[in-house]
Amino acid sequence: MSIDRQGMNAREGFKIIIFTLTVSVLLTLVLLGAFASSFPDAVTAFFVRPLTNRYFFGNLLAAAIPLMIAGLGIAFAFSSSNFNLGGEGQIYAGALAAVLAARAGGTNQLAIQMLALLAASMTGAVLGGLSGLLKRYLRVDELLSSFLVSGITVYSVDFFIAGPLRDTSSNFMTTAAIPANSAFQKIYPPSNLSTALFLALAAVIAGKFIMDRTRIGFELKIAGANREFAQYAGIGASASTILPMVLSGALHGLAGGILIFGTYFKAMRGFSAGIGWSAIAVSLIAKNNPLGLVPAAFFYAYLEAGSKSVMLGANISSEIVLIIQSAVLILITATRVPLARLFSGRKKYKKEGKR
Amino acid sequence: MSSAFSAILSNAVAGMTPLLLAAMGGLFTELAGSLNIALEGLMLMGAFSGIVAAHLSASPALGVLTGLAATALVAWVYGKITIGLKANIFITGLAVNIFAAGLTAVLSQQFFKTKSVLAFSLAEPARPFAQLAALPFVGPILFGHTWFVYLAWILAFAGWVILFKSTYGMRLRATGSNPKALIILGKNPETYAAQSIVISGLYCALAGMSLSFPLSAFVPNISAGRGWVALVAIYLGAKKPAAIAAACFVFALAESYSNFAQGSLKIPSEFILAIPYIVTLLALISGALARRLADRK
Repeated sequence: MSIDRQGMNAREGFKIIIFTLTVSVLLTLVLLGAFASSFPDAVTAFFVRPLTNRYFFGNLLAAAIPLMIAGLGIAFAFSSSNFNLGGEGQIYAGALAAVLAARAGGTNQLAIQMLALLAASMTGAVLGGLSGLLKRYLRVDELLSSFLVSGITVYSVDFFIAGPLRDTSSNFMTTAAIPANSAFQKIYPPSNLSTALFLALAAVIAGKFIMDRTRIGFELKIAGANREFAQYAGIGASASTILPMVLSGALHGLAGGILIFGTYFKAMRGFSAGIGWSAIAVSLIAKNNPLGLVPAAFFYAYLEAGSKSVMLGANISSEIVLIIQSAVLILITATRVPLARLFSGRKKYKKEGKR
Repeated sequence: MSSAFSAILSNAVAGMTPLLLAAMGGLFTELAGSLNIALEGLMLMGAFSGIVAAHLSASPALGVLTGLAATALVAWVYGKITIGLKANIFITGLAVNIFAAGLTAVLSQQFFKTKSVLAFSLAEPARPFAQLAALPFVGPILFGHTWFVYLAWILAFAGWVILFKSTYGMRLRATGSNPKALIILGKNPETYAAQSIVISGLYCALAGMSLSFPLSAFVPNISAGRGWVALVAIYLGAKKPAAIAAACFVFALAESYSNFAQGSLKIPSEFILAIPYIVTLLALISGALARRLADRK
């Protein structure tokens, strides 16, 4: 099947976004009409309360933070045709590493934060890098290997949280908390929104700069567009496979660490489940453009906040958001406009490899 | 010990059933040139719609038919959007997985007021060769299973015949390897690609129901990564049905052994749950190593 490679112009892109928003709002209304006990209450709870209620609005913004950072990790991987499906494990393990590092000692708030976030990023980087190495030297498909490594990681972290690292004074399956004064500053009480928001925005801007203005970013994009050409251009296979997977893993790990320092303060069993998959969706909606991650992450977080809000009053499962999110994913791609450029890159690579 | 040994093998034979069905379904899409990551979600759809319909109609047969139809419908829409609208199959596949998890939870909450286990009191699926289970050694391993197990073998064989021995299969495979040849024949590759997705939906529906019917229950995320393992089995089996079946059996054996080990050895349950992933990863790596050594010669 030929994949149309022409670029999308801004006006077409705008039309698609308007179309997607309209249809997803309509779909939400239909779902609320079908499942909610009181339709007007449910509509208010879904669409209005996340924006007007201070607690919900702050948490909405807070929920967008890990989506932006992990989404940036996906953008680096996908734009260079590396398919990191291991985000779930990388985030979870990064969070656990952050807790361990933060509890290792020290009194200086900044030092604890730096060390813990470094530990979180390194953990993610090792997990992502493993799939990069396997792809580079053994031609193991990173899409499959990163998913499998992630599965192993999630169960292993589960084990540590429920076993050796469990806080036995708590009734929940959780580690002990990081030192109270080491967390990020809350900026919008009573919500969970913290200064991590600025960190996420800075990361996204830095990501944009790296992708568009540096040699590394340029090489990654060339490798993503056409791997054979990248080889002729002298871009090493390591630079185009291992580096993006390491970077992607590191950003996922960082997102996990930031979850700890911004919102949760301790690693609870399964607390980050689903964020990795959401980050993939956010990055796909943003078409792997770092700046696009900001609105995409807020939109995604808005849908999630709405469904949590509607669950409280209207006796409706919060998983309604999954149905809406899947529709958004499909709508944003189900157009004759090619968003699939990165996949043509993938196919080229496959042909070149002996399988 | 020998009874434990035969119990492990027997559980492995039963456990490979959903993997084999999902992998054979995935093989159709794979050979038609698309990477189908939605096996997981399609299995979930089949497991849920089949058992719920069986409960509501009080007829397992009607349940199976409904499960097939509902999953085929989702697969048809998935194929329509992917092939017809030229959407990226990776994204639409991800969407199907998310959709299936969401829809099963929402419907479960709506109609049964719970998002956790839905237990029904359906009769156990028939065990067509139960009389032969008394045979020494092979009896309990091969013949004590539900009809899903034998249907899976039949359908795996049928899949091989269709894909590799029929004109239809040849054309479907050409969709992936040489679509221009099909166009010259006056056939539309997109038709075959879309049909391969519906076929994979039917296989996955049975894979899902082979999990929920013997339990007479739907458990959230009942597919538990098996759709992904099936995808790996397709690659490990180099897209050949017999080798894929062997790969599925190895995973099932690993799972069955780890369940057994959980009882006798003191291994934490989390690591037991991780064993299928570990074995799959190791198999993927050793396959790649073997290929690399073969290339060097």
